[in-house]
Amino acid sequence: MSETSDRLLRGYQAQEKRFLERRFPLRFAPENPTLRELYSQAKGLRWNPETDIAWSRFDPGAYPPPVREAGRLVWSRRAWGTYPGLGESTALLIRFCLESGAAGMDAKLFLSFRPAEEAKHLEACFLFAKRLGGYESTPAEAVARASNQPFAQMVLDPDLPVEAVVAALGCLDDQLDLNLCLCHLQHSRDETARQILRLVAGDKQRHVLFAWTLLGERLPRLDAASRAAVAEAVRDMLERVILAGYRNTWLLPAGAREPLLAAEALAAEHGLGTSTVAQEKAVVRATLAQVRDRLATWDVALPHVDHPELGRA
Amino acid sequence: MSTYLTETRYPLELAPAMPDVWELWQRAKTLEWDPEMDIPWEELHPERYPEEHIMAARLHWSRRTWGEYGAISESPALLLRFCLENRLPDLRFFFTMRTQEEGRHAEASWLMAERLGGYFPQPQNPPTVSAVGTHGVRRMAFDPDTSLEGIFASLVCAAEEILIDAFKATVHKASNPAVHRLMELILRDEVRHIAFGWQCLDAWAPSFTPETVQNIERAVTQMIQNVEFNGYRNLWLAIEGGSATPVEIDADRVACEAGLGGTTPEDEMRIVPQFIKKIRARMEPWGVKLPLFDHPKLGKV
Repeated sequence: MSETSDRLLRGYQAQEKRFLERRFPLRFAPENPTLRELYSQAKGLRWNPETDIAWSRFDPGAYPPPVREAGRLVWSRRAWGTYPGLGESTALLIRFCLESGAAGMDAKLFLSFRPAEEAKHLEACFLFAKRLGGYESTPAEAVARASNQPFAQMVLDPDLPVEAVVAALGCLDDQLDLNLCLCHLQHSRDETARQILRLVAGDKQRHVLFAWTLLGERLPRLDAASRAAVAEAVRDMLERVILAGYRNTWLLPAGAREPLLAAEALAAEHGLGTSTVAQEKAVVRATLAQVRDRLATWDVALPHVDHPELGRA
Repeated sequence: MSTYLTETRYPLELAPAMPDVWELWQRAKTLEWDPEMDIPWEELHPERYPEEHIMAARLHWSRRTWGEYGAISESPALLLRFCLENRLPDLRFFFTMRTQEEGRHAEASWLMAERLGGYFPQPQNPPTVSAVGTHGVRRMAFDPDTSLEGIFASLVCAAEEILIDAFKATVHKASNPAVHRLMELILRDEVRHIAFGWQCLDAWAPSFTPETVQNIERAVTQMIQNVEFNGYRNLWLAIEGGSATPVEIDADRVACEAGLGGTTPEDEMRIVPQFIKKIRARMEPWGVKLPLFDHPKLGKV
């Protein structure tokens, strides 16, 4: 065990001890029909990256080597962006168990499925990168920094209301992730890339619905301080994570993004499962407007941001 | 977010490194099932059983639900630890499915209790809560002073292994088709969970230090003495007796004799000693020496 992992583990340990789990009476009957339905859908719509994607029909030889190289980088980058979902959704499940005690079974059952769904997305990205020439395990430093966020620790922070966590990770980040995925799907021509994106988007749609449904149930009951924490968590996620290039390469600092940007441009040109910068910019603007409008219905304000790459959004 | 520590994530390896564990992940994906759809509920027919049998079965399956819930609430913490410690990708992939499967088992056990007449959301007397509530795995998973090997050995090779031994030894007694099918499906998943634990420990054993071995011995001993012998799985085994009611203690036997799941004391008298003997022999090549355990009903095992 490294010194870092030891310190991180002690951090989790300290956080966990601050919760008092009340396990009984343990209720299982549905409390929120929408969340239970999302759980049922997760069970019914399961898929397997190994067998449900027509890998045999993918012909890497149909693309010149530079395009394959670009594609493998794009799908490796997607794997790096997918991986945090394993930890953050697991941490969220634990948080619900620690905090909600006997209640909230709909959310817990739903969340018991989500880490495996994230793992399937990760495997699909890995398998496609592999077929395009090989998965790249180590990003450039700037990408590594932007994509490595301590979300699991944030999720288990008892000082942060769980609604704030769900709003930041689910309503903003997952929503943006879904919208980008749909954009990539719309602009992809490669059959395998489209198949992966379609299957992944189906799961992501449920993840986003989960977040909005949960927030819709809980936000109206929150006091002013917790509501302010929700607003702050979303703003923080936007300004310090999303706008720092967590999901979008063109938001990374200049000088660190060029190789990956060039790869994305080439892969987009050949329809290999990504979008152009202009298309992504439109998605980010539209997502911010969408999230801002929805949060406003609960009097949670997401201020506009000014960003040199994005403009005012 | 700046106050949190960032993990060392890269290089993020995703290629399989433990083929046997990777195979378990692949199998888990192809063997998914849905408690609502894949159990012949129409063959349950609770109306054909006397009230006493139904009550016992409801108690048994409610208790199973609480135990399975522990696996949703506690053992996922291990996945966080795998991520923090940058363990092999096979472990991380497989464990995501394990969490899902435990959720499915909890739902299935709850549905069984419900459809038998009603699920009980808590033990009849609150003091038994500590016995049935937790096996302490989450705390262990977040404790850097408890080795991962010790947690695997105690949770997987001890707590889950005995569960499965009891299922294997009694599934044939479940004459009710719905109960029988449910037990088969749970058993199928749990066999993978256990294989995962043994495969990992066998692979790591050559690098065990004396401290690791002691850690395993301590963790397994505690799991047997403080959890299994405290009635976590079967109240009849609880040394202290706790405050479980006679109906609760007898529920497993009555349900089992009615063909509705559970074990009898005679089953336990046979299964538990065999189980302890088995894991003692299985862990011995790693240098692990499990002590003899004293149990008022089982004797020295």
